[in-house]
Amino acid sequence: MKFWVAASLILASVYILPSYEEEESGARLLVSKNILNQYLVEGKDLTVEYKIFNVGSRVAFDVVLNDNTFPESSFSVVSGNLKVTWERIAPNSNVTHAVILRPLKPGYYNFTAAEISYVVSEDSNERTIGYTSYPGEGGIVPQKDFDRRFSPHVLDWLVFAFMTLPSLGIPFLLWYSSKSKYDQPKPKKN
Amino acid sequence: MAATCQICVVLGLFLLPAFIYGDTCLAPVVKSQTYSTPEAVVSTDTVLIAEFTLTCKNNLKNINLYADIGGRTIPATKTYEANKYQISISDEHKKLPPGTYEIRIFDEEGFAALRKAQRSGESTDSLKPLFTISLSHQGIWSGPVLQSEFVAAMTAIIVWWLAYTARGKLLA
Repeated sequence: MKFWVAASLILASVYILPSYEEEESGARLLVSKNILNQYLVEGKDLTVEYKIFNVGSRVAFDVVLNDNTFPESSFSVVSGNLKVTWERIAPNSNVTHAVILRPLKPGYYNFTAAEISYVVSEDSNERTIGYTSYPGEGGIVPQKDFDRRFSPHVLDWLVFAFMTLPSLGIPFLLWYSSKSKYDQPKPKKN
Repeated sequence: MAATCQICVVLGLFLLPAFIYGDTCLAPVVKSQTYSTPEAVVSTDTVLIAEFTLTCKNNLKNINLYADIGGRTIPATKTYEANKYQISISDEHKKLPPGTYEIRIFDEEGFAALRKAQRSGESTDSLKPLFTISLSHQGIWSGPVLQSEFVAAMTAIIVWWLAYTARGKLLA
């Protein structure tokens, strides 16, 4: 019996408290971080997308998104910036940010969360700090393995064709020479 | 007394333009760099990125800018390099077809006019942006149309068929 009371109290607090909080708090940002690649390949572009939603009731000020989870030794930036800022993000609106990186090393890499900080209302100086979702571990395929599997192998097929050429070409030439030797009188007969 | 007032007025007249243009970027010089997703392996969605550095004649710094790309209005993202901005758009491959995208950049004032026009349902084409960046998207390459294995198999079949018909003629 006691257990049930305790459980229902906990449940109630879980359900009720956030709704109170939401009404009181001004801006509230939720951030997702996603890797959009089908395959992570060494030396090929890696697309990271951040989506920031303001689910609060007020404008979020001075929003700073800082992602220092990509060390320079393992990734180079192709396009975009890893530390960015927005002056304000309106309530019930969202902002998309994208960065293109290039993995420099193959192997497993744990993609972790980026950090976001913002000011809830214009007159307060306190910064609220939050984290993005984390995409988790991904395997970066070496360029060689990727090419072995997905490249069109045009050169390989040309080499194969060249190698099969003697076994097809020599009989053909023999046949062709004898054909041109014996076939010539035919038109005269007709 | 009257003389000092006159000086004030004259000074005011000289300073007036400076106040008026305080928020507007004069003679913007833009250096831009763009990126668009080249192939499907790299991303499941098409991502377009434009990065630009803005230099104003009147040395304005860190102004708020907004971008309008074919009806989508988004705030320009500021970076930690001085006067460097970034605009990113992402959507499904189909919704961002290949072509040239004109990104129109507005300042606060222009953005207010843009919002006003959008609310009243007017065309926003007549609004003059601060400057425009064109981003050309080549399209997504999603692999060769014909697999090389298929081409090789077809060639082998054609060669065999030619040889077989030739043999048939000899035996006939």
